This record gives sequence, structure tokens and C-alpha cells, in this order.
Amino acid sequence: MKRFSIIGKDVPRTDAATKARGSAIYTDDMKLPGMLHGRLLRSPFAHALIKHIDTSKAASLPGVKCVITAEDTPKIKYGNWRLFPETQDEYALAVEKVRFIGDEVAAVCAIDKDTAEEALDLIEVEYEDLPAVFDVASSMQPGAPVIHDYCPTNISVNRKIKYGDVEKGFADSDYVREDVFTVHGVSHAYLEPCSALAQVDLDGRITLWTSTQVPYIVQCLLASTLGMRENDIRVIKPYVGGGFGGKMELRAWEFCAALMAKMTGRPVKFTLSREEEFLAGRRRHPMTIHSKVGFRKDGTLTAKDLKIRLDGGAYNAMGPTATFLCGNFGAMLYRYPNYRFHGEHVYTNKPPASAMRGFGAPQSLYATEIQMNIAAEALGIDPVDLRIKNAQVSGDEIPDVAVISSCGFVESIKAVAEMSEWKEKRKNLKPGHGIGIGCYSFISGGVFNWFNTQYPFSAAEVRVFSDGTAHLLSMASDIGQGSDTVLKQILAEELGLRMEDIRITVADTSMTPQADLGAWGSRVTLMAGNAVIDAARKIKEQIFGSVSARFNLNVIHELECKDGRVQSKVKSDYGLSFGEAVAMAQKANRGEPIVARGSYTPRDKGLVTPAFGFGAQVAEVEVDRETGLVEVKHMWTAHDCGTVINPRSVEGQLAGSIQMGLGYALSEQFVMDGGKTLNTNFADYKMPMATDMPPSDVVHIDTYEPEGPMGAKEAGEGLASPTAPAISDAVYHAVGYRCMDLPITPEKILEDLEKMSETGDKQA
Amino acid sequence: MRLPKFAYFAPRTVEEALNLLADHGEGARVMAGGTDVMVKMIHGLLKPTAIISLLEIEELRGIHFDAKDGLTIGATAPLADTASHPDIVKYYPALVHAIRSMANVEVRNMGTVAGNICNAAPSADTAPPLMVMNGEVNLASLKGQRRLSLNEFFRGPGVTNMIHGEILTSIHVPPPLPKSGVSYQRISARCGVDIAAVGVGVGIVLAGEACKDAKIVLGAVAPVPMRALETEELVQGRERAQELLGQAGDRAAQEARPISDMRASASWRRKMTAVLTRRALDEAFERASRR
Repeated sequence: MKRFSIIGKDVPRTDAATKARGSAIYTDDMKLPGMLHGRLLRSPFAHALIKHIDTSKAASLPGVKCVITAEDTPKIKYGNWRLFPETQDEYALAVEKVRFIGDEVAAVCAIDKDTAEEALDLIEVEYEDLPAVFDVASSMQPGAPVIHDYCPTNISVNRKIKYGDVEKGFADSDYVREDVFTVHGVSHAYLEPCSALAQVDLDGRITLWTSTQVPYIVQCLLASTLGMRENDIRVIKPYVGGGFGGKMELRAWEFCAALMAKMTGRPVKFTLSREEEFLAGRRRHPMTIHSKVGFRKDGTLTAKDLKIRLDGGAYNAMGPTATFLCGNFGAMLYRYPNYRFHGEHVYTNKPPASAMRGFGAPQSLYATEIQMNIAAEALGIDPVDLRIKNAQVSGDEIPDVAVISSCGFVESIKAVAEMSEWKEKRKNLKPGHGIGIGCYSFISGGVFNWFNTQYPFSAAEVRVFSDGTAHLLSMASDIGQGSDTVLKQILAEELGLRMEDIRITVADTSMTPQADLGAWGSRVTLMAGNAVIDAARKIKEQIFGSVSARFNLNVIHELECKDGRVQSKVKSDYGLSFGEAVAMAQKANRGEPIVARGSYTPRDKGLVTPAFGFGAQVAEVEVDRETGLVEVKHMWTAHDCGTVINPRSVEGQLAGSIQMGLGYALSEQFVMDGGKTLNTNFADYKMPMATDMPPSDVVHIDTYEPEGPMGAKEAGEGLASPTAPAISDAVYHAVGYRCMDLPITPEKILEDLEKMSETGDKQA
Repeated sequence: MRLPKFAYFAPRTVEEALNLLADHGEGARVMAGGTDVMVKMIHGLLKPTAIISLLEIEELRGIHFDAKDGLTIGATAPLADTASHPDIVKYYPALVHAIRSMANVEVRNMGTVAGNICNAAPSADTAPPLMVMNGEVNLASLKGQRRLSLNEFFRGPGVTNMIHGEILTSIHVPPPLPKSGVSYQRISARCGVDIAAVGVGVGIVLAGEACKDAKIVLGAVAPVPMRALETEELVQGRERAQELLGQAGDRAAQEARPISDMRASASWRRKMTAVLTRRALDEAFERASRR
């Protein structure tokens, strides 16, 4: 194991102090002289033709500066899959038709928010209501209303994976299990609602501050939808209060802010209300998962046949990627010698689903993990043992998908079983108490380039100075996950500097090096981290020569940057301070600044990701048999994220994952009446709160990922997956209710218990 | 969202407040902590033309207890102060439990018991325990004072028997009788901070081992916090026993008139009425037997 000086330490987050003091500036905090406030008019219909829009009354309201509809826009579609333009199905403002309740129809900007709000009521829209579909089965019926003309079947993406011979695998099985699971949509519920502020220079160039995970993608798509050149648009990401996948596309308010700033010559800001976020915001895909798995008597897996239908809502958003990924995640964790997947992404007249923490994994792995538990019981094998028997290990190859480089999965299962006293508790718990397990694997960024960027996936620029400081520039987006801190730690480690020696400038498309695909898919640490290391090594190349010459070192001597010095590895007194070394190197090169560019683009890494994280989680619950309420008593987690760069940050990620997992399993859901979301506030959208958090223990499994920066890989997003199956399995262990349709509610538990007592079934 | 334009007053005496209320007519609204009124205004559900804050009226702030007269909670006494008042902790533990299980720390620091009652939500947590303890409200108007039992106070969701021009100045609860016990049980889907999906208050007085008087109030299962009169009758004269608890629960569930909404279905609410009635009755017996 490599020894580090800053990596692996609980370095305080660089954003902690300013956030704790409330002085961090988020987009909505920003005010510019003459700034106008924008509001969006949203469709009250789930599916309707727009016959006519009259904005004249709104436009003549005193204080209103601009009202736009699609007619005022270039009407250019966008979407993140630029490589396949037919998947780009969205306009900033609805053209001819609305497809869900909340679809953006028009925008107003005015001297204050209240006036803009009042103007919305004055816009007259004549709709012709169309038949609508709200679930996948109805949408796929022949003769169902067609939601997008280009897609008469309403199935916008078909994705198939196949290796081995599934039928033969099942034929050779002693036990075959077939189940249908349904999983529901939940909200990202990031604390900072979306916000965007646009300003136009006298020369027509646009600057957009926006709460986004993907400044580069916003820059590119804003350019194409406005018919402008990419570099005439500058996107800046200020502090962002969470994204979780919900802020990774160009969105209507970003477009409208930019266009209306151009039209009025004044800065324009849009900030969504919480109600809008719940009513029309992106959400996790509801899915119907049909899964068939085969085993031999001894528990060896033989085959898996997985069919998933994603309820995509009205637009593709990140649905195509989720469709692709949930098929890949279906083949993860265990060694399936034969595997077949068919995923279909289906349009419905509901708010679009999109990427959300786990990106298809929480849904796909829920089915995987529950079926493992069902099979374990049927085969008479402990669920932990069945998992260990089939677990993927380092070096495993998943045909067409990837080779697993580092893998601490078996170690994770063993560790979590030990720390939770699994074997003992499985047998001897009090009545109403139960213990259950769930596992996960997740990607460290995608290798796919559906966005079709011409740039490296991540880039970094490092400038070093004779005062011993360094300046790191990167387009990577810290959205609260802590990447600024991690990237600084990586640079500090590589250059032997302290955190306070490093200044960082990030996520500004005009100032930071092109490019970065954004903060999603757990890509930032691995990809941006590697780019930083690449740049730092180039810096060292530039200064090592002078230092070597200065001390007349033998050519076989290696130099190192350590403890603020540049020195010989074998004789540390042959060396000088980092700043002196920089000054010397600069003098040797006629004063040229010492600057280096680094980049990372995965190549030859299969079809999915350069590296996989793994882990296992155990939940202990108590179920009240009279009320059906589930209380999670404790969570244990063992996970493999490679080198842990910042333990406290990783533990924060874990706490957040458990909080989201609790909500996904037990309390969060959208209450829908057809296409209308009824629970549009935090009183009725039941996100777990601090008081609901169970005590939790964690063990980091020690592995080193060769493709990762300093051995690191994905941490925290994969952990969104195991919590729901672990809780679900624990509930089954406690009272015998097996949840096949998330979420687990008190009502479902009680109904099931009643059924069991009627039929005389004995619970486990 | 747009806050309506309104005039704001913070009078120093009840009389001043009553005059303001009369002067500003139907559009005027009395406010204590504002944790319900402001939220409704922000969401456009309430559009008062004048807000009359009671917070500056010294005499409405207090909480008084004496063994003879019982408890008086002033209109602007915050929930948090009420729940931590030593006499209330000692003599009215069910009220303390109700307050501690409602809202969150911030809201309990601002919100008031009087406001919780005047807001008249069917799920108001303080209503069932106050009602089973024979709580009353003191109402002031320019015409004088009147006292109204909480049993007669609620008319529907958000609607009470107060008439315009009246201000609720305090809530009065008689001193606890010997051998009496009160319990409040509530449930919601989210364990930590949530609006009650069902709440049940039970108050009983024992004569020997048997119940000589019972009051049972069901919250969030009818348009108002409702007395379960048949269940009360069933409990009358009976001793604590599993069988009785079961019967009482079932009867209360029959009496309840729940609806399905986004917080819970009617059928789950009915089941929970039975469970919580059992639990509350059991705890009330337990508490009564210890006094």
C-alpha cells in the first residue's frame, strides 16, 4: 500500500466554512444591476395541442419587460445524446403541443417576481385536450395516443445485451425463479431549487450562472438551441446545493434566461419554486422489472433473463442512458454465465424521469438482490453464503461490458456480515425484528461519448509559482459532493504541497480548460482526478530538470515533491523548497510561467466504465405488527471505493445515501392523480429527516484501483442501491412480508400480514 | 409566491386588538406565532387585508397553574414553553407528548397551542388531549367574555365557532382529578417530523379499578377532532383488560369517519384508530392507577 501525506486524511472541505457561515453565493443569491425576474407558464394539461397563445395582456402589464413563447425562439430541439439526434426530443418552450402537466409553455420577465407571477395569469392559452397515458402498459397498447410524432410506438429506446445461451442455462438449472418487480419514482429533492441568471455583453456574448452539474453540456446545448457559437456563451457554476442527477441537462429556464437577456439587454434570473420542482422536476425512473434467474442446487448461478420497462415520462431526458445502464447493472455483482437483457424506454404523459443517484442501478439491483434472497431461502443457503459463492472478483470479464480491475466485493460481504453479527442475528432476533442484506456495484464514470464531445472527458490546468503556491483550474463541477476538496488533495499530494498552498478555479467554461462532461455517473474523482495528476506530472517534468542540474545529480536519481520541497528521493538534502524550484525552472526558461495541461479520456475500457466500486450493506429493522411501521434500527456498510481520498467526505456520502435509501424504501413517493403530482411540498413529500436516521457503521475495504487517481474510484453513488433491498429483506425477516413493489408502506405490510393470518401462513 | 398586501398591527392590549379587529372587518386576521397563517398566505390560501399580531400583548403570554383552578395557557405562549413548563410536565404529560410529537423545533418555538386550536385542522395534535381533559377556550370580544368547551369549538376543517370580532385569549384546563389518567397516541407515515395521520386522546377517571368516566377523542379521522361517544360508553364501568382494549379499539374504528387522502387511506386510518385507541386507553389506565 502506497503511503500518502494528504490522501486518506480527513482534510476539512474547502467549502465548509463559507457554507456553515451562510456566506456561500448560490445562483439565486446573485443580483445584477437592472436584473429582471423570470417565471415560466406551465401546462395544466397532460397532453394537449396548443391552438393559440395570446400574450398581449401579460405584455402590457406595467413592469413586464418581455413575454416569450416558442414562436419567439429558434425552435431547435435538444437533448444530451447529441450522437443520436433523433433522441433529442425537447424544446425549451412547447411547440404546438404539451406532453405533461408542468411542460413549459411561455416565459415572462418583469421588474420583480410578483409582477412576473401576476403576468403569468394574463397569458391566454387555448388548448385542445388530447387523450393521455400515465403508465407504461397503456402507453404500449396498440392505438395508444402517440406522444411524439417521430415515435409512433411510444418506445423511444430499445436496448439489448446478450451473452452465453440463456435457454441452455435455464435448462441446466435445478431452481429457476421468475418475478416481476415494480419500483416507483422519487424526487432528487436537492435543497437548492434550480436557478439561472443570464447577462449579455454589449457584443452579444452571454454569461450564464446556473445551478447545474454540467456547465459544458449547458454551454454546448445553449449554443445550438440559440444558434450561437459555443464560445460566445460562458457558463459559470456557482455553489450548487445538490443535483443527484436532476441538474444534468439544458433546461427551459436556462434557455429562457439567456434568450430574454438578449432580447431585453438586461440580466434575467429564473429561480424555481419548490412546488415547481415537485410538480415538474425530473425524477427517478419508475420501472417494471421482469427477472428470471437460474441456479444449480449448490447455489451456482446459471443464467439471468432481464426485461425492464422504464416509465420515461414525456421526454427522453437521461432515460436512454438509464436504459443502457440498468441492463449493465443487471449483469453486475454476480457471475452470470449466461445473460440476456431487453430494456425499453417508454413515453408517458408524466414529468420526465431522468438520471438520479444510481442511474438505473437502484431499480435493477433491487430486483437482483431480492431475488438472491428469495433464492437463498428456496435453496436453503444463507443469503451471505449464496452471494459469496457467486460474487464477482478482480479480473472477471463481463462480455461486451468490461473487465473488472479492482474488486473488494467478497471482502465487503464478509466484513459486513461480521460487523453486523449476521449469522447470530439471522437466528436469534426478538419477534418483530429482522436483519437483511443488499449489495451494489457502480461505475466510476462512463466511457461512452453520446454527448459526442470533441474534447477530453476531463481536463486540468496547473500553474505553479515561485511563492510556493499552485493554481488548479478545472471544469469539474463540485455540486456539494466535495470534488473541489478532493481535486486539491490530489494535486497537493502529487506536488508535495499543503491544501492552503492551492487556489482552485472551477466550472467556468471560459476560464477553465476544455472540457469536462460534468458531475454525474461518479466520474469526477476518477476522471478529473486523473487529469489533475497528468497536469501535475507535467509540472514536475518542467522543474525536475533544473533541480537535478543544480545538485549535479546522477541521471539515475529520481526526484520527488514532498513536504513543500523538491528533492532527491534518496538524499533529501539535495533539494530546495517548491517555490525556489519553480523560480529556478522559470529562470532557466527566460521567465516563462510554469503551466501544464492534463487530461483524461478513457480508452479501451470496454463499453461502460474504467472501474467499478462494490459494497454490501446490512439493515436491522423493527416492524410494528399492529401499525405496519418500520423502524430502521441500524445500518452496517462495507464498501470498496479503492483508495479513500477523504474519509469524512466518503462517510458524508454514505449518510446521504442511507437517507435517500430510507426514503426510497419506506416513505418517499409521488402521489399522482393521472398526470398531476399532488404532493408538491415537503410536508406531503415524505423525505426522511435527521430524526429518522439510524445509527450506522462503516468499513472501507482496502483495495487499489490501477485506473484510478492514487488508486481511487467511485464512492457514494453506488451506495444509493443497497439500502432499499437491505431494508426490504430485513422486513421480510422480521414479519414475512416480501416487497415486490416499492415503496414498503405500513398499509402493504398490514394487508400482507392479514392475508397470511387468514391463510394460516407462518411468517419467517 | 406572492404575499397579498396587508396592514400589520401589533397592539399592546387585548382591548386595542379587539378594536382593531372590529375596525378592519372581515378581512382582518388575528395572528400569534404565524406558523399556520404565514404559510397559508405565502401559498395564496389566505388573503387577509390586516394582520393583528398578539405577540406584544403581555397578558396573553403567560402559562399559569394552580392546584385549585387548573391550567391556563395564554394565547401567545409558544408550544415549546408549554411542553417544558414544569407543572404541565408534571400534571399534563399527554399534552406534553402531543406537543413534542408535532412539527419541529423551529415551529414549536414560534407556534402556539392557541394557534393550533384556532387553525382547527382535523389533525391538530393538541386538540384530542385538551378535549379529553375538558379543556375550554376563553374568548374575548368588545361585547365581553365567554368561555366555550373545546367539545363545542370545532365546526369543520379550519372552521370554528368563534365569531368575527372574537379573540381567543387563553385555553383553560381543569386540574387533574385524583385517579385520572390521560394519554395521547398519534401516528404518521414518516416517523420523525410529520403531520399526524391519526391521533387518539383518551382520558379516564377510576373508581377503584373500574373506569367511572371516559373521554375519547379521535383526531384526523373526521372533519373535526371527534368524540367517540359509543366507545366512551363501552369503557364506562369497565376494568383494564386486554378484552376491553380490543373492544374499545374496534368500536372507535367503527365510529371514525376517515377519508383517503395523500397522507393515508381511509382503511389504514380506521385500523390505526383501533390500534391507537387500544394503546391510549391502556396508557390512560396505567397513569390513572398510579395517581
